[in-house]
Amino acid sequence: MAGLWWELLVLAWKNLWRNRRRTLITLAAMSLTLMLIQVLNNLSMGSYRQMIQSGVRAGSGHLTLNAPGYREQQDIALAFDVTPFWACIEQQPEVQQALPRLYLPGLAQSGYDSRGILLQGIDMTREAGSNPFLKSLSCDHWLRPDVPEDALLGIQLADQLHLKAGNKFVVTLQNSRNELVSELFRVRGVLQTGLQDVDQSLVLVSLERAGLLAALPGKIHELAILLQEQQQVGAVYQQLHEALRDQPGIELLTWQQAMPNLYHAIQLDYASQNAILLIMLVIVVIGIANTLLMSVMERSHEFGLILALGARPFRLVELVVAEALVLGALAAVCGAVLGGLGTWYLWARGIDLRQFISEEIEYGGIVFEPVLRAVWDVPWMAQSALFLVVLSVMASVYPALRAARLTPVAAMRRR
Amino acid sequence: MSGIELQQVSKIYPSGHQQVQALVDLTLSIDDGEFCVLAGPSGSGKTTLLNLIGCLDRATSGTIRLFGQDVATCSARQLADFRLQRIGFVFQSYNLIPVLSAEENVAFPLMLRGVGRDERRRRALELLTVLGLVGLEHRRPADLSGGQQQRVAVARALVGEPSVVLADEPTANLDTGNSVELLEMMHRLNRERGTTFIFSSHDPLVIKQAERVIELQDGRLKADNRRCSAHET
Ligand SMILES: Nc1ncnc2c1ncn2[C@@H]1O[C@H](COP(=O)(O)OP(=O)(O)OP(=O)(O)O)[C@@H](O)[C@H]1O
Ligand SMILES: [Mg+2]
Repeated sequence: MAGLWWELLVLAWKNLWRNRRRTLITLAAMSLTLMLIQVLNNLSMGSYRQMIQSGVRAGSGHLTLNAPGYREQQDIALAFDVTPFWACIEQQPEVQQALPRLYLPGLAQSGYDSRGILLQGIDMTREAGSNPFLKSLSCDHWLRPDVPEDALLGIQLADQLHLKAGNKFVVTLQNSRNELVSELFRVRGVLQTGLQDVDQSLVLVSLERAGLLAALPGKIHELAILLQEQQQVGAVYQQLHEALRDQPGIELLTWQQAMPNLYHAIQLDYASQNAILLIMLVIVVIGIANTLLMSVMERSHEFGLILALGARPFRLVELVVAEALVLGALAAVCGAVLGGLGTWYLWARGIDLRQFISEEIEYGGIVFEPVLRAVWDVPWMAQSALFLVVLSVMASVYPALRAARLTPVAAMRRR
Repeated sequence: MSGIELQQVSKIYPSGHQQVQALVDLTLSIDDGEFCVLAGPSGSGKTTLLNLIGCLDRATSGTIRLFGQDVATCSARQLADFRLQRIGFVFQSYNLIPVLSAEENVAFPLMLRGVGRDERRRRALELLTVLGLVGLEHRRPADLSGGQQQRVAVARALVGEPSVVLADEPTANLDTGNSVELLEMMHRLNRERGTTFIFSSHDPLVIKQAERVIELQDGRLKADNRRCSAHET
């Protein structure tokens, strides 16, 4: 029986090339569509990866440690002491960096004006290599460990307050005991992140200074945990969750939970893109169905002959389906090769968005890298190629049934 | 023994508002190993009769028995199997599968039966040799002359060793020389293998060669003449 199927495939192959031009056109349409959807998908995956990458680094990490309820209530009193957990977290081999932070809303005043700000207490040495907000900053503008009054300002905030490096300004805020406190800081450097919100309101100071100001010495609001690889999130979450289970006063979140806006923006984009890719495939399927139907109609005399020679009608169904299978498989191979080449180019070279847009690109609270790169989503590439074969077989069902309904006498009278 | 028996067979085609009586109460029997021609003017019902005998179509009324079996009681699938196992066809023209070589065309019914590739090749080549087509086995139909194509079709009809070979105007597209040659070939196979041959024709030259001439007119049997042997001398 396997032998017979093989013969059917060989016959189908020969039949496909009877109308060489039509087959080539259909094949080209199928392959190019497959290539396009594979490249688009891989490029989106690349951009999502980038979004997550810079999102977790500027934001709350792949995994986040909080006091329970801090995310919802934003109450500065909900802080915790991280020292008991340090060892447990840092000994995980997947953990690249753990960033302790304090977030204190307040008011900044210069001699010129005043503005609402978000004062962020950070560990400069840990943040320097990880936080994309600090990328534009040269190291001689870093916060110095021995100078507690050093502060870094968002560029728009500095402009509005007419502040330059070396100038002094005062930060006033409500501490965790609900007292109003003020403190003098000196501008050490100015940050340009490209994110309006951040550039208008961010003030970075040392963690110790912020802790003293807020009457939260030794405590933090958030520990942002960065991992070596994005894919490790699930596994490391499981391990840490297990290890930290009996600790009261802390809560472990994934980036999807800690940054739902980013996560939902990506999910929405992915869903709408998949819908478009599906529509493209459906259009191609209509093309395949048309090609197969034309070829069945043209050959009704021959199909009548095959029936007259004693073939059961189901043989014709098999033959037409085999043609669709061969066509689909051929297109899947060609399309995947083209898709691989396209992905390879966009993986190795990338698209330099600076050619098209001069400003930086902000989406979902994230600044994009100016060079968009594809990633290799090999399982998806395999799935989409296989899906094309399945769709092509599905497209052959109607033409195949048309062939099976022929009766030998009627079919042979045609022509 | 009569391999083919028709009793009171009628065939009516619906044709617009009217109906066409293609065969009217035809009673006929053809014995195994006969070599007979269906003669008659155009529209007399020759093709219709061959299609009924070949199980390509069903009679409107009457009974057709093939090798003892009443065809009317068979399902479409059984009829397909019947054609595959016991009947060989040669049609007037366009009767080969264009993408297959001569050899593959001949072997096609064996492929449908699931016979292995080597066995198929052997039997196809054997018949191509008998029919004088050695050296042409790899050509496609488009690269063969009309006469060669018809001989390939005869080979295909015979390859499954059927009990009956039905040929509808096999010589209509051939010149006289080729027609005579094809007829002689079929006659020889009839004598050597005992296969029943029934073919239609309105060419007097062809009709002359047959041992039995069944003449139709307006769907009725006009004459049924057996000659002792038209072919000898
Ligand atoms: N499918 C059909 N539908 C309607 N009428 C048909 C059909 N097939 C045949 N007929 C009619 O039945 C009659 C017998 O036709 P048939 O084809 O059997 O004649 P024939 O003897 O083979 O003629 P020819 O020598 O021209 O081939 C004709 O009047 C023909 O018009
Ligand atoms: Mg006819």
